[in-house]
Amino acid sequence: MPDTGYLPKEKVKDFMRELAKDAVVYAPCLEGDTVIFRPFSEERTLCFDRPANSPPKSVIYPQSEQLFAFEYKKDPEDHQKMSVELKADTNVPGMVIFAARPCDARGFTIYDRVFIDTDTPDPYYKKRRENTLIVTLSCAEPSPGCFCVGVGGGPAHKEGSDAMMTELEGGYFIEPVSEKGKAILNKSMIEDGSPYLQKAQEAQAKAHEAVKNPFETDKLKISQDLFNNDAFWEEAVSKCVSCGACTYLCPTCYCFNITDEQASGKGERIRSWDACMFFHFTLEASTHNPRPTRFQRFKNRVGHKFVYYPEKYDGAIACCGCGRCIRYCPVSVDISEIVSNLTESGQKQQQTAGSAKK
Amino acid sequence: MSTEKVKEAIAKILPDVETVICYQQGFDGLHTTPLFIKIPEEINGLIWNPLCVQNLTSYLPSIKKKVGIVVKGCDSRTIVQYLQEGLIDREKIVIIGVPCTGVVSVKKVLREIGHQPVAGVAFDDNGNIVVKTSKGDRTLAIADVCPDKCATCQYPTPIVYDYLAGDPIKSDKPKESVHEDIRQFDEKTLEEKKAYWEKELEKCIRCYACRNACPMCICQDSCIAETREPHWISQKLSLTEKFMFHMIHAVHLAGRCVECGECERVCPMDIPVAKLKKKINTEMKELFNYEPGVDPDGKPPMYTFNVDEVKIKEHKL
Amino acid sequence: MSVVAGKELRIVGFLCNWCSYGGADTAGVSRFKQPTDLRIIKVPCSGRVDPLFVVRALLTGADGVLVSGCHPRDCHYTDGNFYARRRLEMLKRLLPFVGIDERRFHYTWVSASEGQKWQQVVTDFTNRIHQLGPLHVKKENEG
Repeated sequence: MPDTGYLPKEKVKDFMRELAKDAVVYAPCLEGDTVIFRPFSEERTLCFDRPANSPPKSVIYPQSEQLFAFEYKKDPEDHQKMSVELKADTNVPGMVIFAARPCDARGFTIYDRVFIDTDTPDPYYKKRRENTLIVTLSCAEPSPGCFCVGVGGGPAHKEGSDAMMTELEGGYFIEPVSEKGKAILNKSMIEDGSPYLQKAQEAQAKAHEAVKNPFETDKLKISQDLFNNDAFWEEAVSKCVSCGACTYLCPTCYCFNITDEQASGKGERIRSWDACMFFHFTLEASTHNPRPTRFQRFKNRVGHKFVYYPEKYDGAIACCGCGRCIRYCPVSVDISEIVSNLTESGQKQQQTAGSAKK
Repeated sequence: MSTEKVKEAIAKILPDVETVICYQQGFDGLHTTPLFIKIPEEINGLIWNPLCVQNLTSYLPSIKKKVGIVVKGCDSRTIVQYLQEGLIDREKIVIIGVPCTGVVSVKKVLREIGHQPVAGVAFDDNGNIVVKTSKGDRTLAIADVCPDKCATCQYPTPIVYDYLAGDPIKSDKPKESVHEDIRQFDEKTLEEKKAYWEKELEKCIRCYACRNACPMCICQDSCIAETREPHWISQKLSLTEKFMFHMIHAVHLAGRCVECGECERVCPMDIPVAKLKKKINTEMKELFNYEPGVDPDGKPPMYTFNVDEVKIKEHKL
Repeated sequence: MSVVAGKELRIVGFLCNWCSYGGADTAGVSRFKQPTDLRIIKVPCSGRVDPLFVVRALLTGADGVLVSGCHPRDCHYTDGNFYARRRLEMLKRLLPFVGIDERRFHYTWVSASEGQKWQQVVTDFTNRIHQLGPLHVKKENEG
């Protein structure tokens, strides 16, 4: 069997149908002007030419999922006695995420450290992750706001993918990354990829060149002085309106809330995404809120991705540079600009600019 | 042309205020972002062009100090509404009004150019925007890519201002056109309308960008969409809960929505949420002859009543 | 006694404490026969009825919602029902826009002495909801 594959464009749908035989295939589909990952079906319009508005993170990490259902039951003998019956449905179908971007796939590796590579793995996430095959599509050109190369990724970065496709003139060159990914080369639509290897590599290199790298000079050394300076944050994000668009569209944000929804003796415990940009995220039962202002919340968002997470996980940055938080921000807050101002070289630049002003 | 006048006005008022809120270039040619000017040197960072779309007035109620602000006609309606509701102190706000001939909807431009990355943007003298991409230049008439609100704009010149940067403009759009889209939508059958909203609202990710960008959403951190006490809606991602949230937003804006279109502009999933509020405005006009944000001495219709309501007839069973 | 035997629908009624709840009581004490589909929630005043109560009820299982307060000019709190009238009229006009039949929502005024009128309102509204049939609850869609 060859190491790489090639999928002619006219066979893409056949290939997806083949994958859909024993899995739910989530692919970027066009709805109006919006690109959303939807279970593939014939009436959908596929859209591969730009990254989806929302990443496929909800496939593996649903925005809201039931952890278990519960019901209070009265003892027929003694009505003072109550028991609770719990039911958890842990069935997960086989799933495929098709034509996600490499950054989207890389996002899952950031969740894996938190939810799987620990002493107490999260069974819900783990099962979905293991049941999902991720076939990515490398980017031909950056979208507005993209900065993947600045955080160690790239338009053809393979971390997190099971297999990666690269668009060529008449089809897609396919490189398997994991064992799971290798299996798809067996499908009948896939031809030998070796004649296309060079062209694909050229395309990937060209795409890499085109992505901006806002932090190149100093490999992202965050200045602790600036990071802990409230005045810096007040100034930097005074325009933030504190909505959750950046967080909910982020392939690496994983904070959640757990709530019980109960009515007349039965209900369910659900886990749903939460966002550190919301006032309620840190609101305590006493009504005290340790992060009452918008800039404090924004500081947490940047801090989690570029300071706290790297401290905990050997320097890994919890940002994949997909640019969605920049593209879809209501007020165009640019996290890459803020982080680059926070780096030690950025700090120096600001100081020189400041002294020139005076 | 206007840019220089805006800069002049800002330079004039800056000694008198803490900060002036206006626009600067954003992360790419198509996007602008707010600029908070505190010292005269910062005035040079200002830009003024049809891409200055954001309604900056939403920052006003949370700022306690004296501020200056640059507004277009539509934005000024928010200030008028704030004044009606007593949410701002007029003494603490210096308004620089700029007559506006229409802005550009970034979403519409992106649709026209196939969502390609933008290398640069220019404006010519014939009312066009020229968008540069790697596949060449694309010239689009601003009138073709303006937000829907501009196509029926009645207030190109700000309603309240202290300084006017430019000559006042009169609207040439018929008044009846403002609510025409709502009337047309309302002609659909109930089933069609239900299907339409189910399809649109299903896309909602409950990021609350529409709420936080909305200048009239003043509950902000206490919004009942998030509080557990009272517990109006759950964190479940069902269509029912998404629908409920958008009904909350619409009903809380009844007779208050100034139709700035921010909710729709900022929606990352492109849901036409402004339509719900505009529908209520259509009814407010019909029932109470009231239009939000045009008369500083007016009173929002839900804040008041008439003992005998001329237009409300008792409903028969 | 429901209109269609054995097939009771779910109708929620928000009644003000001072007039309509009394009216319903008068109807009951007078032994006027009424359909049993209506579940009554007593509120201090029709002005307490947030239009969103009605929306929430219709979205989460009610087939119809009835709001009833004191007659205009008779509000126990002087002007609560005047505000209610504006809000509820706004809602009545908004509902069809989002695909909900406005006939499923009715607001009216019944005084404490109008037991007969109350009987008529409940019977007519219940009949109407039965003609419209159950309001299908939107399908839950996990994204």
